[in-house]
Amino acid sequence: MSDPFEILGLEPRFKLDLGALEARHRELSRALHPDRYAGGGAAERRQALSRAIEVNDALRVLKDPVRRAQALLARSGLSLEEGREPQAAPAFLMDVLELREELSVAGRAKDGAAVRRLGESIAARESQVLEALALGLAPLEGRDTAPTEPGALRGVSEKLGELRFFQRLLSEVRAIEDELL
Amino acid sequence: MLLDIFDPKAPPKPIGIDLGTTNSIVATLRDGRPTALTNCDGASLLPSVVYYSHEGPILVGRTALSYATREPTRTIQSVKRFMGRAADDPETQRLGSYHFAMPTSDADAKSVRFELGTSRPTPVEVSAEILKSLRQSALDQLRGVGGVVITVPAYFDDAQRQATKDAGRLAGLDVLRLLNEPTAAALAYGLEKQKNGLFAVYDLGGGTFDVTILRLEDGVFQVKSTGGDSALGGDDMDRAVAEQMLSAMGVTTDAERAPELTSVVLAAARKAKEALTTQANVEVELPAKGGGSTVFRLSRAELDQLITPLLERTGRSCRRALRDAGLTAAELDGVILVGGATRVPRVRAYVSEVFGKEPLADIDPDLVVAYGAAIQAELLATQSDDVLLLDVLPLSLGIETMGGGVDQILPRNTTIPAGAKATFTTYADHQTGFEIHVVQGERELAKDCRSLARFTLRGIPAMPAGMARLDVTFSVDENNLLNVTAVERTTGLSQTIEVKPSYGLSDEEVERMLEDALDHGEEDFEARRLSDARVEAERILLASRKALAVDSDLLEAGERERIDAAIEALGIAVASAKAAASITAKIDWLADVTHAFAGRRMDRAIQSAISGKQLVDVEKRVEHAAGIEAHLSEKGLG
Repeated sequence: MSDPFEILGLEPRFKLDLGALEARHRELSRALHPDRYAGGGAAERRQALSRAIEVNDALRVLKDPVRRAQALLARSGLSLEEGREPQAAPAFLMDVLELREELSVAGRAKDGAAVRRLGESIAARESQVLEALALGLAPLEGRDTAPTEPGALRGVSEKLGELRFFQRLLSEVRAIEDELL
Repeated sequence: MLLDIFDPKAPPKPIGIDLGTTNSIVATLRDGRPTALTNCDGASLLPSVVYYSHEGPILVGRTALSYATREPTRTIQSVKRFMGRAADDPETQRLGSYHFAMPTSDADAKSVRFELGTSRPTPVEVSAEILKSLRQSALDQLRGVGGVVITVPAYFDDAQRQATKDAGRLAGLDVLRLLNEPTAAALAYGLEKQKNGLFAVYDLGGGTFDVTILRLEDGVFQVKSTGGDSALGGDDMDRAVAEQMLSAMGVTTDAERAPELTSVVLAAARKAKEALTTQANVEVELPAKGGGSTVFRLSRAELDQLITPLLERTGRSCRRALRDAGLTAAELDGVILVGGATRVPRVRAYVSEVFGKEPLADIDPDLVVAYGAAIQAELLATQSDDVLLLDVLPLSLGIETMGGGVDQILPRNTTIPAGAKATFTTYADHQTGFEIHVVQGERELAKDCRSLARFTLRGIPAMPAGMARLDVTFSVDENNLLNVTAVERTTGLSQTIEVKPSYGLSDEEVERMLEDALDHGEEDFEARRLSDARVEAERILLASRKALAVDSDLLEAGERERIDAAIEALGIAVASAKAAASITAKIDWLADVTHAFAGRRMDRAIQSAISGKQLVDVEKRVEHAAGIEAHLSEKGLG
């Protein structure tokens, strides 16, 4: 995959200003959207289309913290594929199991307020993980090679695994909320 | 009123068309302001009704509507509900006065057909009649019609969009773009108000409901989320009222619901609904079963109650759209009402309850979509840099998995154009073909989603199971239309893909319909192709000359000469070609020699976007380009 930071012309950092990201995306869309080439021939429109797709794709990657972290790692020649992260700690897994159970109880009871509360508490824990990830990934920012100091990236893959659990839980919250809307 | 002065050199005017369930409108920009053109009825709104007479002539609009109660089965109304639908679609089972043709083959069953005895037109052909009528009105008033933007509900899926595009092609229109109706409405409002902010567009038309949340910032209209129901609208209110009328008349069995009666009652229901917009009660005289008549009374309160379930369905979509956009109603700066059905007082009250603010309706809700389409057509034709519309995918795209589940490849509300890649492998030794089923929708099982296409990858080299690597690329263009390509990775061979649309018409069928039009003596098929190719060539020539003038410093040694030669050849072809093919061959040549140059120009556009200098640059370039255009037209080249 090509580097989304490079495509969008942004400093490679885990903590991104979403407003600035969106603004950059808008400017690039102005330059590349196929509507800009409506007067051109089919070939030119296809060319613009594939570039606009690339830009939109890069935006999607950078908006998703897991994929953003992967993109940062990939820049340094490191890769972490889904399912390859180390086993999460048993205490964490117990936590997740409990949250999921509470969520399904609240969903079955059609208790919208409880679902929302759970959603908020999961989101709060997700932001803690994001903070930890930002710290963990800091050694990678602004460079193209993997840090050689031992243990520089310790904890990153574990946090990424936790983040995935929270994302999955949050998407379950959304699915239940969809039913209750 | 000022008369338009005939100018033989006037360039063809771009137009916008709102192809609605109940009414259709064609509009264009006059002195920078959108204006609806007068149609064959002498009005702005053309009833989307087509009457197929026994003698052959096809009537459209108000005259067609006058046949609705006399010959309901030959008078097609609300055809938009059937666009891109298969013969067995549930939509065909609802209260209506049509006779549907029984499909004669599997291919035939991919589209609804109306049974007229002598012919069996598809919804695409019926819609093309409406578009032809609008095209003719535009031609009469503007002399030349350029590119066209046709609007579609944001919630239309791929098949419905493709059907709309085909109808445009069949009507002889150069369809520049399919534009989502709520986005079009926002464009009409945004340009009027020059405001930045977050807006919701609540669009309740005759047959479709859409809600769109978008942000307007410095000329970029960015859709955040969209939702809706492509089978919910004012028609359903009419049906609810009609059901009440039918029971008041003592009509209880299906057998008693003859098309003639259904048509009369549906028309009466619509009138009653419209009357209740301004009055509190309405009385309608209806024929009673077994002769005589009966008086049916309906109050506004009763109507409100009848339509409440329908409104609640729209409310759910609104809440979901807000949630998908990550917003609360309080954060919105305004709510825009679109569609004739939003005239119903209860609808307006409901919208202000859902969003907690009074909706805007100062642009006529029947015309606002066509206005937006006209603005977008003009922007595209003039290649303006001022405004950009960034829309989203309305429904998730996925692939059916082995167990009948769905593997999501692009989630709903992804900004388009969008692309995704999926890798497949063979599951049997020496397997040389692979079938892929693409679906659209939010349900977990493929059978509950909308089937878009099945296609077969062929010619995979024989290998043990699991060895082949098929990279399948899905791309959704700016019109929300899907394209699929595939490459076998281990051999690097691009594979033949046979995309069979699950619903609707194949390219060949549309081509055949176009040729059939020739048999009917409407137009010379080849002559039309030739003129289409000329129009396209002129457009490309202008764009190429502009590009050369603005970015000539990007040319490499010898490139200019190659491009100039291709431009000259295309110019000669435009002037002298007798067949479309000789023009398209030169277009291809020019595309070939400008490919690398176009890429470098895009790189430059990206660089200036990133370095933030684009505003000054753009101004300079526009000025420069305007100078060139003036120069070209002086020389009679433009």
